Amino acid sequence: MSEEHNLGEEFYSAYAAGTLDPALELLVETQAALRADVRHELMTANAVGGHFLRNETPAPMSFRATERALEKIDALEASPDRMLAAAKLATKMVDELIRLPEPLQERALQCSVNSSWKFAGKGLRILDMDISPSVSAELLRIEPGCGAPTHTHAGMEYTLVVSGGFTDEYGSYGPGDIAVVGPDHMHRPIADEGEVCFALAVRDGDLKFQGLLGVLQKFFG
Amino acid sequence: MREETAPSEPGTAPSERDRHSDALEAIASRKCRKSFTDLFEFFAPRIKSYLMRLGSDDIQAEELAQEVMITVWRKAEQFDRRQASPSTWIFRIARNRRIDAFRRQKPLDVEADEPALSPAALPTPEDSYEAVEIEAKVQSALLELPAEQKKLVKAAFFDGLSHVEIAMRFKLPLGTVKSRIRLAFQRLRTSLDDDDIP
Repeated sequence: MSEEHNLGEEFYSAYAAGTLDPALELLVETQAALRADVRHELMTANAVGGHFLRNETPAPMSFRATERALEKIDALEASPDRMLAAAKLATKMVDELIRLPEPLQERALQCSVNSSWKFAGKGLRILDMDISPSVSAELLRIEPGCGAPTHTHAGMEYTLVVSGGFTDEYGSYGPGDIAVVGPDHMHRPIADEGEVCFALAVRDGDLKFQGLLGVLQKFFG
Repeated sequence: MREETAPSEPGTAPSERDRHSDALEAIASRKCRKSFTDLFEFFAPRIKSYLMRLGSDDIQAEELAQEVMITVWRKAEQFDRRQASPSTWIFRIARNRRIDAFRRQKPLDVEADEPALSPAALPTPEDSYEAVEIEAKVQSALLELPAEQKKLVKAAFFDGLSHVEIAMRFKLPLGTVKSRIRLAFQRLRTSLDDDDIP
C-alpha cells in the first residue's frame, strides 16, 4: 500500500505517546481496525514505548508504596460495587452451569465447588472435571471470538460442543457435534460469534503447543 | 526469510518478559499478591520516572504510578501474552492514565474500559502470532539503532514530542529530524516483514 494512504510516523508516535488529539486518535484506531498494515504500525509504535518504559531509570517510590497499593486494592475489592459485580459474575456462572445437560451439570457444579475455573488466556476458562486418573476431562468456557492457542497432542482429543459452537481448521461444530483430533494434527479452535461456547474436551495425551512460548501448556497439562 | 533471535542483553532477556507475563496471569487467575508486589517493584519506579520526566512533580507521579499499578491489577485478565509484552501493555495503561490526568482531568475510574485495550487497538486473532514477532523484532532493531536516531525515536514515541519540538530541543533542522525519524521507524518497521523488502 502506498505511503499517501497512511498518516505517517508523526501520527503514530503521537498516538503511542498519548499526545494525539482524541479526534485523530479515533481516526487512527479506526483505520487500524480496517487495515493490517496500520495495525502493524501502531503495534510497532506501542512496542517502542514499552521498550523505553522497561529501560527507564527507576525513580524511588515512597516508603511502603507497594503496601499502600495493596491496601487500595483491598478497599476497592471490598467496595459494594465490586462485591455486587463479583456476586453477579458468580450467579452468571452458576446460571450457565445450570443450563448444561445432565450428567454433565451435576459433575460441573460439584467441580466448581471443589476447585475453581482456571483462567487460560483471553476469554478462555477451564474447569477440570477430575473424573479419571489417566484420561483428562475438562469443561471449556470460551467467549465468542476467543479460543485455545494452536496446539497438537500426543494422543486423541474428543471435544463435544455442549452449547454455542466453535470453528477450527477442519470445520465448524455446533451443539452435539464432536470434533475428533488425532495425534500430531494441529488445530486452533475459536468460539463462534453470538454466544458463549461450552465444550467438554476429553483427551488421552498431553498437548503440545505450536508457535507460542509453550507457556500456556501448563493450563492444559 | 532471515530469522532474528530476540536480544539477550540485560533487561530484555525473554526470561524477564516470561516472568512478568506469568505474574500478570497469576494476578488474573488467583489474585496473587506476591506477583503484584514483584510487578510493582519493577514497574512503579519506572512509571514514576517516566511521568516526572514529562512534567509531573514527585507527589503527582507517585500517585499516578499507584493508579497505573492498581489498574494493572484490575485489568490483568485482559492481558494476553500472545498479543503484547507486559512492558508494552503496562506502557499503554500508563499512557492512558497520563492522558486522563493531564488532558481530561478525570478522576480514576478503575472500572472504565481502557481505550487502548479495546479490540480496535489490539491485533485481531489472526495477527496474534505476528504480535510476538513484532515485539521481539522492535526490541532487536532498537538495540541496533545508532544512538542519534534512538534519541530522536525516544523523544517522539515515548516523550511525545512533535517533530518541531524535537528540532528545537536538539537544535536540528526540521527536515533532518523528519528524515532521521522516518529512517529509524523504517528500520523498526522493515524488520517486521523481511519478505516484503524489494
